[in-house]
Amino acid sequence: MKARFIVSGVVFAVVPCVAQPPVQKVRIVFNAQVAGRPFACGATYDNVGSSHAQVTPLDLRFFVSHTELLTPDGAAVALSLDQDGIWQYRNLALLDFEDGTASCLNGNAGINNQILGTVPAGRYTGLRFQLGVPFELDHIPAATAPSPLNTTAMFWSWQDGFKFLRVEVATVASSHHANGFPLHVGSTGCAVLGFGDAPAEECAHPNRATVYFRIFDVDHDTVVFDLARLLAGVDLESPSPVHSPGCMSFSGAAACVAPMRALGLPFDGAPATEQSVFTRGARH
Amino acid sequence: MTLRRTFRALAAFGSLAFITLLPAGSPDFKWPKPEWVPVPVVPEDNPITDAKVQLGRYLFYDQRLSRDGSMSCATCHQQARGFTDGQPVHAGVDGSLGIRNAMALTNVGFLSSFTWANPKVTTLEKQVMIPLFSDHPLEMGMQGREKQLIEELGRDDSYRQMFTEAFPTQKGEISLDTIAKAIACFERTLLSFNSPYDRFLRGDKDALSASARRGGSLFFGERLECYHCHGGLNFTDNNIQQGQAFPEYGFHNTGLYNEDGNGAYKKWDHGLRDVTDRADDEGRFRTPTLRNVALSAPYMHDGSIATLEDVVRKHYALMGRAGSTPDGPSPLRDQYVIGFNLADSEVEDVVAFLNSLTDEDFIRNPSFSDPRTKKSK
Repeated sequence: MKARFIVSGVVFAVVPCVAQPPVQKVRIVFNAQVAGRPFACGATYDNVGSSHAQVTPLDLRFFVSHTELLTPDGAAVALSLDQDGIWQYRNLALLDFEDGTASCLNGNAGINNQILGTVPAGRYTGLRFQLGVPFELDHIPAATAPSPLNTTAMFWSWQDGFKFLRVEVATVASSHHANGFPLHVGSTGCAVLGFGDAPAEECAHPNRATVYFRIFDVDHDTVVFDLARLLAGVDLESPSPVHSPGCMSFSGAAACVAPMRALGLPFDGAPATEQSVFTRGARH
Repeated sequence: MTLRRTFRALAAFGSLAFITLLPAGSPDFKWPKPEWVPVPVVPEDNPITDAKVQLGRYLFYDQRLSRDGSMSCATCHQQARGFTDGQPVHAGVDGSLGIRNAMALTNVGFLSSFTWANPKVTTLEKQVMIPLFSDHPLEMGMQGREKQLIEELGRDDSYRQMFTEAFPTQKGEISLDTIAKAIACFERTLLSFNSPYDRFLRGDKDALSASARRGGSLFFGERLECYHCHGGLNFTDNNIQQGQAFPEYGFHNTGLYNEDGNGAYKKWDHGLRDVTDRADDEGRFRTPTLRNVALSAPYMHDGSIATLEDVVRKHYALMGRAGSTPDGPSPLRDQYVIGFNLADSEVEDVVAFLNSLTDEDFIRNPSFSDPRTKKSK
């Protein structure tokens, strides 16, 4: 594990005392879409979910961790992330597609569609990563956490952790339900001793999705996140009558069944499966 | 628990390492805050110093900053009330009522924007000008009188001395710029992090009653959804601190009004919409902090709810107060305002939790009080 911190302009590098093999830089590009159309704050998209709703995005951010490149023989090599003090911390990166404009007013200005790091020089033909915050970072005190974990929009206080994925869309307003469908995925069933305590061990439902591309060329391909694929099968306009809006990863929440399956996560007795939200696309 | 401490230490180290990358701004200033609290962000052109803070404190409490000498900043921002005034709305120097409730100044140094709904006012230096010079509503009424103000302060020996110490590179210039900068520096020191809730989180398990702990679980739970907006360091989703990459903003319609069935607010105050001119922003206001909230009654942007209990029972529980009117819940209300049923004992628990956010040290801290009421320095 190599950690670098820049303190007062002086670079301290903790490196093993052996000759370093040559490394190569890696840039993994992400692309957010809604049924193939580019994701944009303020845009409207038809035909989303089972009721064919018209939606406007309010937010789209997610954490990616444990990013690995795969060699032709299937061996996984961890990507060592650049520690930029903004988007990447240890093995965690925040992908952020809202720019704080128009319908995404309650977001912030920064956007990030890439993961930057290094791997030992070699030939890599596949990609694997987790959608989620590793347990050892998931329950640190959020308000004083390092960037990007100090992004308040990703705080998930009811589980004393972070939202791994925050997707929010506005739908046609109706006075019978609040105006929109928020989808928050994170670890649930986290046993704590009492109010204010962090869980001592892994939560009952970690809900970290694995995304795996057997074939992936980091120089020419992109990871495509499609909101319409995530929300396919959800009735965005008549959410199930539980006491929370949208899907908050609750066990028993009908509105979560389809998106959890799309992410390949086990949910309410349904087994883990292969995710269908992320696909491999060509870089333009 | 040792594991948890290790992560805390790691997290703290991470933020420290990052903090030093930012423009130092005020390297010698010692913030009056516990170690664990992040450092507020200070504008590059107004590094904070003890001399500016002291000058700002005198100006904050100085009634010469109003047209008829009847009001100071402290008229509406009283320390004993968490720097609010106990009134729904306050009258300006001409006696005409304002339209919005005086906001708490607790930890304002961590806010990304100021006033109830204006993302363009991103510094306290800018905000200071609003009560001083606004016409609608009229507050301190100093529009057109800045020359007189500057001359009057300049006739005061102690101010000349304090401006010289606070602004040596400007040769002690007394101007709107230096007045605003000094007041902003004082306000940034109004830090409150020693409530029973803070002490509980730092290990004093007796600091919260069982009722407050139950209320905390409700507050941070998915039945009430409070924390979605009232989250983070200061119980608001508007936040900027050193080590944070981007300021964050949160403006929400809580369904307080639904005047026409389409979600309209009162015609004299449309909230964020008045600034952005976007229909979607009707009735949206910045999430206020809940620190010291027990001291800041009455509540909401117009002070139209008298007690915390009523905020829970007669507003949020009903999908917004408009939910109890013939027009029903506002279609424009935020998606987290979903209504809930609470037993009476649960309402008491939530209020007990909110009461635990009161910091007695903050309201008694002598360095925040009127410097003229004591002869000693």
